[in-house]
Amino acid sequence: MRPVKILMLLTMLSVAIGVQASNDSTDVVRPVTSVYYVEAGGSRVADTYLSPVVYSGWHSALGYERYQAMKQNPERLVMSLGGGLNIDRTMNGVGNATIWGAELDLAWSMYYRMRPANGVTIGVGGGPALNAGCLYSTRNGNNPASARGALTLNASGYVTYNFEMGRLPVTLNYSTSIPLAGAFFSPQYGELYYEIYLGNTDGLAHFAWPGNRFRMDNRLTADLHIGSTSLRVGYRLDVFGSAVNNLTTRRLTHSFILGISGEWLSLNTRRSRSNNTKIISALW
Amino acid sequence: MVKKILLLLFQVLIMTSCGEIQDMENDPHGNFEALWRILDEHYCFFGEKDVDWDEVHTRYGERIDDEMTREELFNVLADMIDELKDGHTNLSSGFRTSYYRKWWSDYPQNYNERLIQEHYFNYNYRSIGGIDYGLLSDNIGYLRYGNFSSAIGDGNIDYVLQFLSTSRGLIIDVRDNGGGDLTNVEQLVSRFITKPTLVGYISHKTGPGHNDFSEPRGFTYNPIGGGHISYGKPVVVLCNRGTFSAANNFVAIMKNLPGVTIVGAQSGGGGGMPYSSELPNGWGIRFSSCAILDANGKSTENGIEPTAGCAVDMDEDLERQGIDSIIEKAISVLSQKR
Repeated sequence: MRPVKILMLLTMLSVAIGVQASNDSTDVVRPVTSVYYVEAGGSRVADTYLSPVVYSGWHSALGYERYQAMKQNPERLVMSLGGGLNIDRTMNGVGNATIWGAELDLAWSMYYRMRPANGVTIGVGGGPALNAGCLYSTRNGNNPASARGALTLNASGYVTYNFEMGRLPVTLNYSTSIPLAGAFFSPQYGELYYEIYLGNTDGLAHFAWPGNRFRMDNRLTADLHIGSTSLRVGYRLDVFGSAVNNLTTRRLTHSFILGISGEWLSLNTRRSRSNNTKIISALW
Repeated sequence: MVKKILLLLFQVLIMTSCGEIQDMENDPHGNFEALWRILDEHYCFFGEKDVDWDEVHTRYGERIDDEMTREELFNVLADMIDELKDGHTNLSSGFRTSYYRKWWSDYPQNYNERLIQEHYFNYNYRSIGGIDYGLLSDNIGYLRYGNFSSAIGDGNIDYVLQFLSTSRGLIIDVRDNGGGDLTNVEQLVSRFITKPTLVGYISHKTGPGHNDFSEPRGFTYNPIGGGHISYGKPVVVLCNRGTFSAANNFVAIMKNLPGVTIVGAQSGGGGGMPYSSELPNGWGIRFSSCAILDANGKSTENGIEPTAGCAVDMDEDLERQGIDSIIEKAISVLSQKR
């Protein structure tokens, strides 16, 4: 009796959930892996438009990211969408001046997925990314802020390893992203924002490549599958540098990550499904 | 240990990137070098001030001693930046801010606020925001704007100009106006132009070399429009050496407008927009980094001369009798334009 009940439940599920038919007899289910996280850590900032002095202090962030196998080729293609808000507060060496940093990151990526070994998944790919924000010095008058803005094409990748720690399933993930090309904003060497306000926008937009704008955003996380949702713990090391218009900017943040993750299915009760359902996770 | 690794990573990033961040020691020599270098790379008036900055480094470097107190160091550094003869250049610490004052202290004051309030208005002038105004004898309007840091609303200016609309000429007194916000300059100038007007040029440093400048770029102000009140009758602007920075720019702009006469003494200058930076010990440094030129492409850093034939100093004997020679000259100019 029990196997019959399970079969009935699976049949009902396959009818109820949003799935993509991969062939006439098998429905493919592509759950979304979603992560909500916060970060806390340290930051070191140098921006010669604001000051020749290196500032250091704390870094915080909150963000969201999602992964999903793509319907075109769910076994091989994965897409991700992520966004985060970073807030930094740093001080100069003697502690009498503050630079606040606020930055928004948005990125969409597509990965080609490989499974070179049991439990191991590797994704390589990339996609567009938007980065906008500014550094604000509380002590400067006519040059109080160093605005940032960039639209880039990033190379991205991840490695996932699924294993069990005792009886606890764990997904270990390392991901990284590097902008390869794009455009970014920088004020001129001694240009004040009043001049930009007057309409002089010459020399503010630049072609970005790793030689003048380098960033490498690294995350090492572990999803501890303690229930239907998982606890994410991890570490992030975000390295940024730019050199343009005779101005140099450096930013290094390292932070601990705490979040929750889980796999979610969207439901569509109007579609009929086959009796065979295959679940293809983005990271498994 | 983790901190050391991160510091090392940061240093590696700095060294391997094409940009450069100088290592600066927080000791007297380090702070001296930092200040000298900041100005060397960013200050915009070396040519106009005819300052040999390398020679300044040699001369003041000899006065730096790692055993000196912070007050002694401050004095040497303040003396060094005074070589630039620039009222926009200040060194700021927790115990003192340096000022170069000779741009006005070596000249006659040429302004007595109490005299005007008492002898020209019998204290019956009107005030709104940062503006004092009223009607002088012979139906001449008087508008005193003492500080361009004081924002004033368009509606307030409408009321002032409406009150003065029956006057046959207007005196705008910006003597001892030490400057402020250039957007307030634009706001006031917009009442005295009838079409988009080229009012000046601006140029900024593009690199650390003394001659690394952008091409001067013209900027235009638009008339106020939108149903607000403008003033189209003759105008005299009063200035003295205390007319500095944004007020100096106001005089430079007004001088090139038709129907406007500049009366008084050469203004104080300050035609460079100030930029802020800091030393390793946390002291702030402010200095000129963007040159503002007038509509003819001429520098405004050393002040604006009055209109030909209108340079006047206050007569001390007349001042004691309650007469402001500069206002009297302005009244005379406006009377001739009747």
